Amino acid sequence: MERVVTANELAAIADEAMRTGRTVVGPVRRKERYFYEAVSRGADLALDFNYCVYSPRSFFLPSSETVLSYSIGTKEVKAAPATGGTPLLIMGVHPCDCNAVALLDAVFGSGVPDDHYLARRKDSIVVAVDCHGPCDQTAFCRDMGGNEAKEGFDVMLTPLNGGKGQAAERYLAAAATERGKELLAYNKVGKAPANADKDAAEKFREARNANFKKKLPYEAEKLPEILDRSYNSLLWQVTAKRCYSCGSCNLVCPTCYCFTVKDVPDLSCASGRRVREWDGCQLQDFATVAGGHNFRPESSSRLRHRIFRKGKWIKEQQGRMGCVGCGRCDRACTAKISVVEIYTQLAEER
Amino acid sequence: MPEVRAMAEKLNVGGQGSPFAPEEAEILDVADLTALEKLFKLRLAGGKNLGHAPGQFVEVSVPGFGEAPISICSSPTQREAFELCVRKVGTVTAALHSLKAGDKIGVRGPMGRGFDVEEMAGNDMLFVAGGLGLAPLRSLINYVFDRRERFGKVWILYGAKTPQELLFTKEFESWRKQPDTELMLTVDKPDEQWRGTGGVITVLFRKLPKLDPKRTYVAVVGPPVMYKFVLLETLNLKIPRNRIFCSLERHMKCGVGRCGHCQINNVYVCKEGPVFRFSQMESLPESFA
Repeated sequence: MERVVTANELAAIADEAMRTGRTVVGPVRRKERYFYEAVSRGADLALDFNYCVYSPRSFFLPSSETVLSYSIGTKEVKAAPATGGTPLLIMGVHPCDCNAVALLDAVFGSGVPDDHYLARRKDSIVVAVDCHGPCDQTAFCRDMGGNEAKEGFDVMLTPLNGGKGQAAERYLAAAATERGKELLAYNKVGKAPANADKDAAEKFREARNANFKKKLPYEAEKLPEILDRSYNSLLWQVTAKRCYSCGSCNLVCPTCYCFTVKDVPDLSCASGRRVREWDGCQLQDFATVAGGHNFRPESSSRLRHRIFRKGKWIKEQQGRMGCVGCGRCDRACTAKISVVEIYTQLAEER
Repeated sequence: MPEVRAMAEKLNVGGQGSPFAPEEAEILDVADLTALEKLFKLRLAGGKNLGHAPGQFVEVSVPGFGEAPISICSSPTQREAFELCVRKVGTVTAALHSLKAGDKIGVRGPMGRGFDVEEMAGNDMLFVAGGLGLAPLRSLINYVFDRRERFGKVWILYGAKTPQELLFTKEFESWRKQPDTELMLTVDKPDEQWRGTGGVITVLFRKLPKLDPKRTYVAVVGPPVMYKFVLLETLNLKIPRNRIFCSLERHMKCGVGRCGHCQINNVYVCKEGPVFRFSQMESLPESFA
């Protein structure tokens, strides 16, 4: 199902979602940068954003969430789930982040399903917006295949006019899921695309494909193999000498999903909550066990662990790349460590 | 310690349930094993059988304190209750140590992959335990003794730091009485009363008779520094590496292969372990970290 919608109509969809009780989240400009935030007016969504500092993952996997609550000493002790929160419409997600959402769906939906995540996902609608080109010099989405998304969204918006840094007035809205079709049908907005609209969308795609350039000197499918022979490379030690183990890369990554679980008692200690919180494999104590033994005491082993997860192991486990090339880790790094540089150097080492 | 009750009610988010929801278990008995370790005898609500394999673990939860992964130390042949040997080493285990018979705790599991007893059946068994490693190994040792006719000769090598830290000493007598069974002990730091061997666990390998590498299975559990050297000793015995099993300790926080804390290279210990074959560990360099 495809409709041509105007920017005003998209804002109206967001307003209607709010009226019917959904929280609407999208890119909001804060000084020079963009962040995913809840908005009070659809018109506040900045769909021409370059990138959001944080990924949208916190809306599906909050940085802290109650997974159980308990009370002690009463006759009836019940564990109560945290609700998924209010239903969500998230509008303005780039293809890289859609790929990350698809990965999280696979991780939390497989094996023992994680209903805390799934409940939130089931209650959310994701409206993606396609990119004119890489959002900045840091992104390497073209290499990782993150610049195109087939899953992880309900509606994809293709700008029909405008350009880089210039908001489009009209979009081709293509529903990818039943939920996406319902969203467009319910709002009765837009019109069927004319041939000229389809041509404009095609022109956009041709232009975008030309705009995305590869940054790695090899195809990303070779990455697992390159990593395989780089396990004992000295590069991990050399690079990690700069690492502060601050976990900023974990914090901004759209595909990081490691967490810790802990109990948070209320002041009375008679009741409390079991809480799941984001954790980061770069933090010093991530692999420490009771008694104090740390299985990854060196920052080099932790750095290697992260790069192997993103470039090889998640792919082996989930069949999807663990890195979408959004470049957030490189931008956020307090020591200017670059994944792209590591990937490049490892290939050159041989 | 206030009365602690388990959070037995299953969640119903999205109709499936939370992977974090524990079942209720009642403490039937608590016994002191050493200054640091206690043995808990537990029964699931309604007398439900835990249904574990030797070598598996459970997540034990004490509301207000949290959860900790603990190896099951009783044999699955004991169906009416199960046992956990808990060393007081952190917040949750300290809370557990303050509990008494009749108290309730939460349990999730059994989790992970244990020892493959069907594959081991019909063979001689060499058990090697270091310190608290005897706890998970006891689930397999007692299984073998409860199915004694299905297994050949048995050697149990067990080392601890001091004589006072030896676990399950009350069972040594009955283990020694088992047919074709030898129990060998050593302590790193013998005291004046100690009559046995002194030194680290590998010294016991010198005392082993000639084993038949074609019909021997090995099960090793202990701290990293111990199993590294023990695995080298087993290679000297010419036992094929796919018949040498080793249980690895990591901090499994979720138990379902997501939280990342127990990951060794590309495997989650909580799902693909904690019991691994030596042949498998060779492609997991972090297992020797």
